[in-house]
Amino acid sequence: MKITLTLNGLSREVDLPPLVRLLDALRGPLGLPGTKEGCGEGECGSCTVLLDGAPVNACLVSIGQCEGRAVTTVEGLSDATHLGPLARCFVDHGGAQCGICTPGMLISAEALLARRPEPSDEEIREAIAGNLCRCTGYQRIVDSIREASRERRQAGGAS
Amino acid sequence: MSLADLPLHDMRRAASLDALCGLVSERHARGEATVLLAGGTDWVVEQELKPPRPDADPLPLVVDVSRMDELRGITVTRGLLRIGAATTYLEMRRHPAILERAPMLVEMARELGAIQIQARGTLGGNLATASPAADGVAALAAYDASIVVKSVRGERRIPFSALQTGYKQSSRAPDEVIVAVEIALPPEGSPWIWRKVGTRRAQAISKVALAGIAVRSEDRVVRLGLGMASVAPVTATLFQTRALVLSRPLPAITADALDAAVLSDIAPIDDVRSTREYRKHAAKAVVRGFLRDLGAPV
Repeated sequence: MKITLTLNGLSREVDLPPLVRLLDALRGPLGLPGTKEGCGEGECGSCTVLLDGAPVNACLVSIGQCEGRAVTTVEGLSDATHLGPLARCFVDHGGAQCGICTPGMLISAEALLARRPEPSDEEIREAIAGNLCRCTGYQRIVDSIREASRERRQAGGAS
Repeated sequence: MSLADLPLHDMRRAASLDALCGLVSERHARGEATVLLAGGTDWVVEQELKPPRPDADPLPLVVDVSRMDELRGITVTRGLLRIGAATTYLEMRRHPAILERAPMLVEMARELGAIQIQARGTLGGNLATASPAADGVAALAAYDASIVVKSVRGERRIPFSALQTGYKQSSRAPDEVIVAVEIALPPEGSPWIWRKVGTRRAQAISKVALAGIAVRSEDRVVRLGLGMASVAPVTATLFQTRALVLSRPLPAITADALDAAVLSDIAPIDDVRSTREYRKHAAKAVVRGFLRDLGAPV
């Protein structure tokens, strides 16, 4: 099945069996291996991407369901040579350690900040509740997202 | 995992609800199975965990209904809340009418899974896969919702009490498409409870979950809806407990009588998430909590 979607702002077409997981389409034919596979059953959040702006687990979405839709992956939050400000905050504040959860964490954080420019710590924790991290104990991730929200507001809302 | 089988399925979309009903009906008449796929939070996980398919086993046709307009949307008309079967839990919990008139659904949707699951999961999907652990379905039980289904024979409404006939079994015919759920809204400000007992706040399948809605008049409860997940082969509607509470003034309800009613209404099992004994304990405790909030000395 030919599927056309908007991927990180660009129109892309793939020809794949429709029930191939969005996760496999991204990491394989679409050439974006930033999205990680953790549990493969919708529990850990490491494959989180934005589908029309909402965070979803790419392991539970079929590529055939993405026809005409907009998908944003972690690659879409940075450019080829520079980390985006959100990712930079994770580096500066110890929000990233082994890195497996990080792409999903960044996407969940991006979804939150797009809706809630000044989230409370409780809102940050709720927004990343579907993303498991076994390294940081979460506090550094919460700190990183809080700092990103502050920087973003100072910069006038631009990401 | 049997991921290998997923790409072997064919997938289509239908141009309209009538076309969908026609397709499902024709396939059913030929003995062919059809899966209506919405968010995939149950079905895709089941496929991924299944052993590989024997070669002779024909695959169902998958029809993507996640964006079918006739299955989506939320309306309130003269006190009747209608939620399209393919409306996501995230859309539900952010909808003004639900925020204003059905706060229990907001709280349920918020706790049923993390936001990634809320953004995909649907009431229609959870009704179709018919797990007795489904939080959303327990909420429908408490509201005594009707399930709107449609087939080539026409549309009908199944009262919640007549829907579930056994573990993952329902009275919906195989060629009937779940279109929407309808809830007769209780008066604004009616007391309600959503209490989920799980391993963690987000993303846990319930050990026990209680949905409750009550209408009180002086010292009596005059209307009571209860639904409980993960305590029986079907979503428990706690019939004996409802009858007890409605039968006498709140001050006359005793903890012993309430506990006995709850235990007669449930049949929990030991499984990977919890034990029979703990579920009995938790079920009694969450019902007592709701009745205490309503003013019973329990």
